[in-house]
Amino acid sequence: MSEGLLINRLIVNYGVSDLHYQLNVEPGECLAIQGESGVGKTTLLYVIAGFQAACQGEVLWQGRDILMLQADQRPVSMLFQEYNLFEHLTVWQNLILGFHDSVPEQALRQAAEQLLVAEQLNKLPGELSGGQRQRIGLIRTLLRPEPLILLDEPFAELDAKTRQLAAQWVREVALKENKTLLLVTHHQEDVEIVADRKWVLTGESF
Amino acid sequence: MKPGSLFLIFLAYGLVMGITGLAFYGLAGFSQGGTDTLITPDLQLLNDPYIIQILLFSIKQAGLSALLSVLLAIPLARAIYFLPRLAGRTLFLKLCLLSFVMPTLVLITGLVALSGRSGLLTPWLGEDWNLYGLQGILLAHIYLNMPLAVRVLCQQLNHIPDTSWRLAQQLKFNRWQLFYRVEWPAVQQTIWLLLAFIFVLCFNSFAVVLALGGGPASTTLEVAIYQALKYDFNLSEALTLAWLQFLIAGLIFLVMARMGKVRWLSADTHSQRWQPQWPVWQRHVYSAGYYLSWLVLLLPMIALLPSVIDARVEQISLAVMLDSTLYSLLLASGSAILATLLAWWLLLAVRHAVNVHKPGWRVLFQWLATHTLVAPAMVLSTGLYILLLPLIDLERWGITWLLLLNSVLLLPFVVSQIQPRLLQFDQQYHYLAQNLKLSPVQSVQVIWPFVRPVISSAFSLALLLALGDVAVFSIFGGSERMTLPWLIYSYAGSYRIAEAALVSLLLLALCAILVWLFERSYHRPVKGTAAAPRNSTSEYNKQET
Repeated sequence: MSEGLLINRLIVNYGVSDLHYQLNVEPGECLAIQGESGVGKTTLLYVIAGFQAACQGEVLWQGRDILMLQADQRPVSMLFQEYNLFEHLTVWQNLILGFHDSVPEQALRQAAEQLLVAEQLNKLPGELSGGQRQRIGLIRTLLRPEPLILLDEPFAELDAKTRQLAAQWVREVALKENKTLLLVTHHQEDVEIVADRKWVLTGESF
Repeated sequence: MKPGSLFLIFLAYGLVMGITGLAFYGLAGFSQGGTDTLITPDLQLLNDPYIIQILLFSIKQAGLSALLSVLLAIPLARAIYFLPRLAGRTLFLKLCLLSFVMPTLVLITGLVALSGRSGLLTPWLGEDWNLYGLQGILLAHIYLNMPLAVRVLCQQLNHIPDTSWRLAQQLKFNRWQLFYRVEWPAVQQTIWLLLAFIFVLCFNSFAVVLALGGGPASTTLEVAIYQALKYDFNLSEALTLAWLQFLIAGLIFLVMARMGKVRWLSADTHSQRWQPQWPVWQRHVYSAGYYLSWLVLLLPMIALLPSVIDARVEQISLAVMLDSTLYSLLLASGSAILATLLAWWLLLAVRHAVNVHKPGWRVLFQWLATHTLVAPAMVLSTGLYILLLPLIDLERWGITWLLLLNSVLLLPFVVSQIQPRLLQFDQQYHYLAQNLKLSPVQSVQVIWPFVRPVISSAFSLALLLALGDVAVFSIFGGSERMTLPWLIYSYAGSYRIAEAALVSLLLLALCAILVWLFERSYHRPVKGTAAAPRNSTSEYNKQET
């Protein structure tokens, strides 16, 4: 049995139709998920993270079905397409949320330097550009202690140069921290930099 | 849901529903002859022509009050929205709030001074004019509720994004299309909500009808309950009328809770920067209506002044006034704090229902949390009093029950203030907060800066409304110390109108200060909420009453 993520005969209701998923991700593997809009990429991430219910099937993490667990009990750190930062807290206050015991301040600041947002830490999210906000969300999501990382179009707002920088940083951290990573993206370049392999969702049943 | 939250939810709902249940049980269980039989509603009364007349009058006056309040508010709200250069717009909206929360006794004193039998304006109102009866009731209800409708409609119009106006202009919409395609969708549901809300408020109105009803022909259910209890001591009749009122108002309130989805763009993301220009003649008409409204709303307050000048200062004890002021503030603060805490705990259940997508449960929890809007205040007070009288020393513990009962009666207003903001927080951040696995302390640290202005404004509103309480104090208040409304009542009851006007003015000034504080806390910007996520275009539904 896989010690990573095994999505076994999972069926999720999606309006009038059902979505079917069958997937195995090895521990420490980075998987890019692609597919046309509306095929159920984000829905899959939401089911794994505990924000959407499944009709049938299993989502096994290290051999244990996590579907029964509440969202805040799952070993998941997720970057949403939007609303990743509390607008009324400063960037730094946002960054230090989501760590159980101690906050890796040094690592957070270092990552902010690497992703060119170190100057923004004392600002409010509203003062940042879309790309800067996305990088802040990315830093927190990757550096949290959760072993399973879900990224939903994490580079959508970035220009080509920053996109490459951020993608390389994600790859480095995922490898170094042995994170299992699922990345939804429409860009082939992201797949090449970040992912070990890609999985194209077609919406067909297993 | 965490066990601590569950406990608080049970505690809050238990308390709120317990009070209503105990009050009705108190009335039903009272036995004059000392037997243990329960008094039951007398259904035969429903065929009684007098009761039918009361019921029809209650519906008629509430319906007319709601309709007129909203119809008058629509052009006024449009004037304020479309003419940003009107002088004193912000101040006018503050005056609207003051008018809505103004203690009823102050308004009545003002209206009597203005258009009562020897009122300042009475000689010019024609021989047929009579403040007492349907027209007086309507006048007072419009004074109290039209300003509320103006504020709510203005707020709603302000949520029309600039982009809609620009698009409409670009598509060359005519005036009718602008109204029908842009304005109407923004205010349509709010108008129905306002009609229902004002209907319920007026249907349950007590002091206005008691003071200005003027006889059996103009009596409402609430006043009939009071008369059945106070003069006839006919508990069976009181219970029947109470159930009737509870059912009718409850039904309307339930419908209101179900239809209460107003499509809002994020409250923090838009401010009015661009809007169409209107023809000159229309701007003049709107301006004239606006300035006339200033005068009309101020008149009952100004009318208090001549009476005050007449007041014989030597007859008024400053010590009594100071004592009543402090006592009023103390009681109102206690009730407001308790109401705010209860509202927070009650809303935990509503938020959970929304977050797990259970709309039916949301409506139920919301209805239970705010059901005291439709429960007759007189029945709650009297029922509890009858139940508790043989059980506890009410001279000693009356104040505790007064605070408790007032808090529960304030809940509909406090809940409606806090709920949209909390739902907004959940709508934006519920998934994020769950994913971040925030501890209880962290959760508070994150949510508090977001809701602080709303909490402080809800508290101020509760304080304002609690300051005007007469009904509950009349039952549970001690005989030694008086609140300001009770002092007005006692002066007016002994025909010391000048003194009553003076105390009314004092209470009004107190309310005005609180309105200023309320507005200040409400409009103080929350850090970071001026800008929404730049990639966000989503709209969300919010409950508003």
